[in-house]
This record gives sequence, C-alpha cells and structure tokens, in this order.
Amino acid sequence: MSPLFILCGIIKNMKQLKRPKKMGSLKQKIINEFNLKKQADDLGIKVWQTPSFLFIVMGVIIVAAMTGVYVISKHYDSIEVLVLSESIVVALLFTIGNFIIKSVEEVAKSNKMKSEFVSIASHQLKTPISEMKWEIELLLSKFSEGLTEKQKEVVGEIAHSGAKMARLVNDLLDVARIDQGNLALAKDKVNMRKLIEEAVEMQKEFALLSNVKIKTTFKSKRLDVIADKRRILVVLDNLISNAIKYIEEKGTVEIVLDGNAEMIQVSVRDNGVGIPKSEQANISEKFFRSNNLIKNKTDGTGLGLYIAKNIVEQSGGSLWFESIENVGSEFYFTLPTTDQSKVKK
Amino acid sequence: MTKILIIEDDWVLQKALADYLSTEGFETKTAADGESGIALALAEKPDLILLDIVLPKKDGFEVLRTIRAEEITKKIPVVLLTNLDSISDVEKALELGATTYLVKADYKLEEVTAKVKELLNIK
Repeated sequence: MSPLFILCGIIKNMKQLKRPKKMGSLKQKIINEFNLKKQADDLGIKVWQTPSFLFIVMGVIIVAAMTGVYVISKHYDSIEVLVLSESIVVALLFTIGNFIIKSVEEVAKSNKMKSEFVSIASHQLKTPISEMKWEIELLLSKFSEGLTEKQKEVVGEIAHSGAKMARLVNDLLDVARIDQGNLALAKDKVNMRKLIEEAVEMQKEFALLSNVKIKTTFKSKRLDVIADKRRILVVLDNLISNAIKYIEEKGTVEIVLDGNAEMIQVSVRDNGVGIPKSEQANISEKFFRSNNLIKNKTDGTGLGLYIAKNIVEQSGGSLWFESIENVGSEFYFTLPTTDQSKVKK
Repeated sequence: MTKILIIEDDWVLQKALADYLSTEGFETKTAADGESGIALALAEKPDLILLDIVLPKKDGFEVLRTIRAEEITKKIPVVLLTNLDSISDVEKALELGATTYLVKADYKLEEVTAKVKELLNIK
C-alpha cells in the first residue's frame, strides 16, 4: 500500500500549504479540518474537489473493496477468482489514486497561476499608473497657468484616486510575492523616530478629518534598525490608518517607540471600536475585515495587516495585538536593531 | 546647456519626463528603443542618461553594457528608471555599471529631477 502512503503525504502537504495560518484553539482547528465547505471556499474549488473530501471517498472505497474481496474469498474457494478480484481492487485503487493526484495537482497549478497572474497584472498596471501620476504632476506643477481653483481641485482629486490605485497595486504585488515566498526586502539603515514622524505626517489630514489626535512618545534612545524603509513605512501606515479608521467619532491614537540594544518596539493604541473576541483569531488573514459597526463606513481591502505581519516577521520581528470590544485596540511590533532579514541581498 | 538622453519606449512617460526636464532648463534627447538609444548616446554624448529596462530591439541591460564598453560614453552617469523592482534586476543593473535606479511608480518627476541634479552637482 505504499502508493497510498505517498498519496496521504501529498494530500497532507497540500493541506498544510493551502490552509491559512490560524491562531485559534485546537478544537477550532479540528472543526476546520472537517469543514469541507470552508476548505473549498479557501481553495476556490467545489466541495467534491477538496483534498479532505477526496480522501474520505478514497477511504470509503478502500473499505468497500476490501469487504468485497473478503466476501468473494468466503464464497468462492478458487485462487483464480481471488486473484481476479484483488486485481480489480488494485486497479480501482490506482485509478482513484490517480484521480486524486490529478485533482490535487490542478488545485496547486491554479493557485500558482493565480499568484503569477496577480504578479504580472500588477506589474503591467504600474505603467499606466506612473503615466497618470507624472502627467498630473506635470500639469499641476508646470502648466497650471489658466486653471481655475476649482479645476485644480478636481485634478487634485484625480491625483488622489491615482495614489490610492498605486497603493492597491503595490499591496496586491506584495501579497503575490508573499504567497510565492518571494518578497525581497531591502536593507536600509532606518531611523525609527524619523520614520514614525513621516508616517504620522502621511495620516495627518485623515486624522484631522476624523477628529482624531495623534500622540507620539519616543522612549528609546536606540532608534536605528536595519530594515526595508519603504515597507516598514507601509507597516506603520497600515497600523496608524487602521487605528484612525476604527475610532467612531473622536479619539486619540497613541504611538510609542521603545526598545533596547537588540530590539525596538512600536505600539499603536486607539480608543476605537475594538475587535470582537470571536474574530481576533482571523485578523491577520488575507482579505479579512472585522464585522463591526465601522465596517460599512470605511473602505479597505483587508490586506494591510496580512502584509504588515509578513513584512515584520520576514524582517526578524513579530507583530501582535490586544483588543477589547468598545474599548480599543493596541498593536505592537518589534524589529531587531541588527540585520536578521531572511533574504540575502 | 546640460543634455539629458531619455531612453524610454512608453511614449507618455518619455514625453512627461522630457517636458518636465525642459522646464527645469535641461536640453533633452529621446529614444524609444535600445538600438537608437545607443546610437543617440554615441552621437550626442549627453551629460546623463535616463534608461528604461524593458525596451524593444535591445533591452536596458544591453544598452548599459554597450554604453559602459564604449570609450566616449563609459563615464556618463546612467539612472535606471524601471517598474521592475526585484532585487535581482536591481543588482544586475548595478553590476553592469548603472549609477543608480529609481522605481517609476514610486517616484515623482520632481524627485527624478532632484536625483538628476544631485548626480550632476547642479543646485
């Protein structure tokens, strides 16, 4: 039965590869393991195509075939009949095994194609986005003579939409790279204090519009880390904009930088709506958006935390949070002060 | 007048760069493929070259290799302008002798111009 073992191995590996990372309890994990509909949704396939379902079918057929052989061997005392029935069983098992391997291969292939498609599409989208960005900049900075204030305002809004699109494309590209295990991080010397100030500056307008005050405290003297500056800025930007987004009417976002010789730690605290306990385990999953009051009031793709967590972890740090519903959330991340990036430059 | 050669096959990006640099007081020359880029670099001896990587006929890497091999162009600063930002592409370009690289979608024209001025010591 060694092909069966190989098959079990493949199916097990497939499950490990495709299942999203979970932080839930063991009970939850076991339930999810048998939740075929969820598995099918996660993999984007039909229920009967899920590895678990095929595995169960395979088990049932094996038991049935074995019983069949047993019954035949009981009724016919003939070597020929026994050999024939066993041959049929073996042929049956190989056929089904082959079918399962093919299905699993198909799932893996389509998953790879999906990642490649996202990667190629977002690369292609970058060119028209660059065109739009540069043309608008050219218009506003060099050829704006004769434009009325209203016209400038309209062009400014277009530029703003362009920037949002650029951000989304960068996010998708990052997700595709994370999924392919191919997110390359630069190694810049980053002054965390300056970077936090830059991130706060980027959210200043949004905070003002949302009636939110941003308070920063720099406790640590050791402020430099070796990391990818642009991407750590994305992490900070995601955490701060989330904090502002989930404050209902008015409130405060507090950012604290602390650390020692080995690690720096940044925390971003808000007094917003918080994350319901039942959803806390899923928060850093791709496309996850908390199902709370604010959900319909804000836009977002649910990619921010997934990207942030992966960037921080690949940089040698960790990201976690504490949250109480209707009280607020506090997100923390650490980064090593020396280079511990897993990607060699 | 300081002369900048722009080798870029995307017409809109090429025009935007040329227009912006012109208003900043630069003389600009443009090429839309690798071969004519090399020819123009040899004929015009620009002070700086802005070079795309994905180009028809000869790609940016090949253009860079030729520019660095030719006596008259080998010392000209070359800024790679690209949307390919994988570590391997960037490393390859720097190994071939690119002065620096900028990711188009992440940079404003103002920042590209500032980089050009910085490399040419223009204030």
